[in-house]
Amino acid sequence: MPKRSWQRRGKAAMDLIEFFSNHVFRMVFFGTTVIGIVSGALGAFAYLRKQSLISDVIGHAALPGALLAFLMAVVVFGINGRNMLLLIVGAVVTGTLAALFANAVAARTKIAIDTAMAISLTTFFGLGMLLLRMIANNPYPGKGGIQDYLFGNAASITRADLTTSVAVGALALTLMIVFWKEFTLRTFDPVLSTMLGFRARVIDTLMFSTIVIAIVIGVKAVGFVLMVAFVVTPPAAARQWTNTLPGMVALSAVFGGIGSGLGAYLSISLGNVPTGPVIVLVLFSIFLMSLLASPKRSIVVTALRRVRARKALRRELMAEGRNP
Amino acid sequence: MTPIACECRDLSVAYREDPVLRRVNFCVPTGSVMGIVGPNGAGKSTLIKAMLGLVTPLAGTSEFFGKPLDDVRNRVGYMPQSASVDWDFPTTVIDLAVMGTYGELGWFRRPGKAERARAMAALEQTGMQAYASRQIGELSGGQRQRAFLARALVQVPDLYFMDEPFQGIDAKSQQAMIDVLKDLSAQGKTIVIVHHHLGSVLDFCDHVTLLNKSIIASGPGEETFTKDNIRIAYEASDGAEAFLAEAG
Repeated sequence: MPKRSWQRRGKAAMDLIEFFSNHVFRMVFFGTTVIGIVSGALGAFAYLRKQSLISDVIGHAALPGALLAFLMAVVVFGINGRNMLLLIVGAVVTGTLAALFANAVAARTKIAIDTAMAISLTTFFGLGMLLLRMIANNPYPGKGGIQDYLFGNAASITRADLTTSVAVGALALTLMIVFWKEFTLRTFDPVLSTMLGFRARVIDTLMFSTIVIAIVIGVKAVGFVLMVAFVVTPPAAARQWTNTLPGMVALSAVFGGIGSGLGAYLSISLGNVPTGPVIVLVLFSIFLMSLLASPKRSIVVTALRRVRARKALRRELMAEGRNP
Repeated sequence: MTPIACECRDLSVAYREDPVLRRVNFCVPTGSVMGIVGPNGAGKSTLIKAMLGLVTPLAGTSEFFGKPLDDVRNRVGYMPQSASVDWDFPTTVIDLAVMGTYGELGWFRRPGKAERARAMAALEQTGMQAYASRQIGELSGGQRQRAFLARALVQVPDLYFMDEPFQGIDAKSQQAMIDVLKDLSAQGKTIVIVHHHLGSVLDFCDHVTLLNKSIIASGPGEETFTKDNIRIAYEASDGAEAFLAEAG
């Protein structure tokens, strides 16, 4: 299996020089770090718009799109079906369709948004699994490793994939910076945004595109199923530490980048361990640390404060000669 | 004849099948402070929202300074009922006030020093300058409303719509806001204010509209805010009876 060609036994960890002198390791490291930074930064707006779950819908619904893109490429155009850009286009189309479907059902019927999202997610994902089996059962050229779309395979990142990730990621980050003011206002106060004459549909489309990009950018390395963690976990952790939006976006990008880089390093040096899941666990550790240790919102500090307040109250009541 | 700041003609609104407003004709003379009064569910907020296009009416048209809203957006400010935003949003009071300049900045342009200075001046007007760098979630209800009023002031509109600005706020904040309203009125601005406390309507409104799904009466306060009209609007509800009994 090509996936485990770099599998190591014996040593528990490797030194950094050895790590970075290996081309595959470098690609894994930089590829996942770029994904972490981009998804972390863009995920902050998804978090604030309370669209964390919609990114899960997009992630699962991107599977049939990526597979249809593969089929189109192979059957109709006769080109390489695993091209990263092609894959992204396919994923964006079905991911968007699924999210629009869920929103439309929730807006026009009495069915709640969580139900609508669950129906949309499972239907599109089911369709994706069906296509996956169909491709596996037929002799399409270049179909090897296509099941990696589900859970990713960081070792398969090529230099061209890295370039595409950087380009697409930079495009999405540029969109976010150029429309920073519009994104912020629409997220915080959609009514004022409309009142001041900003077209909701334009901003929503732009914001939605950035969120979709944040998810599909990681399909090859991490896979669609786990990508949502890259979009959701870093901003949730970052929110614990900062009270400004620029601070939150920057910190979320840093958490995403560090978590991914560290996760990639760990997964390789530990040997036969898949990269995506390790990164998800590292991101979760950052999240947990943030919940426990952040200065203003730490659950530990909050609990201690309550204990102290209760003791102080008891002392006061005793001093007043009453039974607490 | 006084010029008209805003008016709507034959405005009807329904949420799903329930009619909320029926053929409302409503007009506000320039420079007046118009209070919109009526029982719960009378459609007071809906009237404002429908005029501003935030709710799609079934029928009817609205004009502001004789023009459709899109032509005069910068002249119209709106202060929604509180609690309509996420108070845990990572933004400070000064950043909130700066948002009032976004309309005139338009697409792409970013707020700079001048915009921040204006926002700070507006915060001073509402007595909120000391809280400029606070996260909005750390404010009390009254402080939140004053911060939102500052944001509306930054926009420098000629016409203000305010939806229940005094709901659930402390006496100090209420007084600070009434002072600002009187100031605005003295400058010749027009203010439309949804208010539910009958006893204090005439304290700061010179015009009153009594609404209950349709207009009961609308015009100068002393002509419209009469016992008979209040009784019709409130359909003899307890709150109104108590008020009328007190008023003698």
